[in-house]
Amino acid sequence: MSLINKTKEFTIISDVITSKSNIIDIGCSDGSLIEYLKLNNNVVARGMEIDQSKIRTCLSKGISVVEGDADTDLFDYPDNLFDYSILTYTLQATKNPKVVLEQLVRIAGKAIVSFPNFGHWSIAMSLFFNREMPVNSTLDYSWYETPNLHFCTINDFINLCEGLNIKIEKKADLRKSVFKEFKGKSLYDSYFSESGLFLISKK
Amino acid sequence: MEENKIVELSSKERPLLLDCGKSLGPVKIAYTTYGNLNEQKSNAILICHALTGDQYVASQHPITKKEGWWSNVVGPNKSIDTNKFFVICPNIIGGCMGSTGPKEIDPLTQKEFGLNFPVITISDMVKAQKLLIDYLSIKKLFCVTGGSMGGMLVLEWLSKFPEYVHSAIPIATSVNHSAQNIALNELARQSIMADPDWQSGNYYGTDRQPTKGLSVARMAAHISYLSKESLHQKFGRNLQDKNELDYSFKADFQIESYLRHQGISFVDRFDANSYLYITRAMDYFDITVKNNGSLVEAFKNTKSKVLCISFTSDWLYPTSENKKIVKTLNALGIDVSFLEIETENGHDSFLLDEPEFFDALNGFISSTWREI
Repeated sequence: MSLINKTKEFTIISDVITSKSNIIDIGCSDGSLIEYLKLNNNVVARGMEIDQSKIRTCLSKGISVVEGDADTDLFDYPDNLFDYSILTYTLQATKNPKVVLEQLVRIAGKAIVSFPNFGHWSIAMSLFFNREMPVNSTLDYSWYETPNLHFCTINDFINLCEGLNIKIEKKADLRKSVFKEFKGKSLYDSYFSESGLFLISKK
Repeated sequence: MEENKIVELSSKERPLLLDCGKSLGPVKIAYTTYGNLNEQKSNAILICHALTGDQYVASQHPITKKEGWWSNVVGPNKSIDTNKFFVICPNIIGGCMGSTGPKEIDPLTQKEFGLNFPVITISDMVKAQKLLIDYLSIKKLFCVTGGSMGGMLVLEWLSKFPEYVHSAIPIATSVNHSAQNIALNELARQSIMADPDWQSGNYYGTDRQPTKGLSVARMAAHISYLSKESLHQKFGRNLQDKNELDYSFKADFQIESYLRHQGISFVDRFDANSYLYITRAMDYFDITVKNNGSLVEAFKNTKSKVLCISFTSDWLYPTSENKKIVKTLNALGIDVSFLEIETENGHDSFLLDEPEFFDALNGFISSTWREI
């Protein structure tokens, strides 16, 4: 799963990250985002990943990576150890997204989070007309085999952040591939964004 | 290029001060090196052996004639590539393959130390290794690695001489011995001391050697190196060279025969008193003791790049123990990686053919070397 496409996602994230900052990519896969950010933003980075072979790929690339799980292993890090924590397309697969979000903004000054928008019009259509769980480019699993546990809409995410006293600083405009100042809920996004990509921090 | 050497470091006048308050001098270190030290002396890898290991990490053992205990990891084009790196593997002090230990001659009495050998610690072993590294004029080890007790030495290096360690790979180890670890070692020690041929440690030069006690100690320890699953797969309830039970106490089962063989072949190459001293050092090991009981304090000056590795079926030094190291290094913001290898081979996995383990070692070492 990726957000629209990887290159686009990487560019948007790279644009918002201050150069030479210290980051952690949770669910870093084969470390390609970290490599991209090392190259373009000169970051000091490390990853967390659950898949053994991907961990070994990271090690061979010289990327520091810890075998771990967003749900249980973020507690190990002290407050504000990182400038940015990054969690792309994983929030919906965590057991406790609320706790994970709190940890993300605890261990880093800012967090970058992306997730599929369950409020997208095509999903609503699929449910409304076909009475079937949606399968599309961002939700590419059938209901019986999906690792996703907690779907949310962009509005749900905004509500949760408010409840957790988390400030949404920026929201990505996926059409223009840029982060923009967050100005509250938008009707357009909630219907037409396949994904949400946010820059958040502790209030 | 492979070399076996014994050097005398420290002296009667400038002895090695030990944690127990006594001192040792001179201290002999027997060590093996492979490959060549480069001009900048930046390519040295120190390998710390485990309880019953020795300096013959990748070369034929002089007594057993078997290949080195880590020859699947260390060698030309292997994970620890001796074409690139200068590999140093010293026999620990307290050991029995040429370094100062209980079976060596005490310069004071001109007789074997026996139980007059001072009780040593993991930290003392590392202090002695540091003398060797100084002797070789190496200011920074590219990597320090080892499994099990060897991993404890790696942790001690990270804590005690952080500026000497560029990177470190502690494998299947622990920051201190659990009650269960101590219990198993005590079982081994008691079986040695219960052997009348042990003669209170004064068996050197006599015609009675504590082979039975040492053999039983090894059998007990060997069980702890394997997992229930691997024992089951290898031996099950299979009988040894027979189809029916013998209704006796002979080795009916394959596992009995295997353990007896492990015990008997061990006594040819290992000294019973060394076994007592080294297991004691492991039991005493607690890296927090000299650091106000704090793990964070123990590693606060560490700047090295670290890779911790554990094995799923290792119940002697389980993943949870290894994760304590990772957790602490994370808390300190140290550049640490961690991987738990899935295997049924138990604690011994680090000595066995584990391709994913070799791959992880190779990936970490090569990429860290490229960054230098």
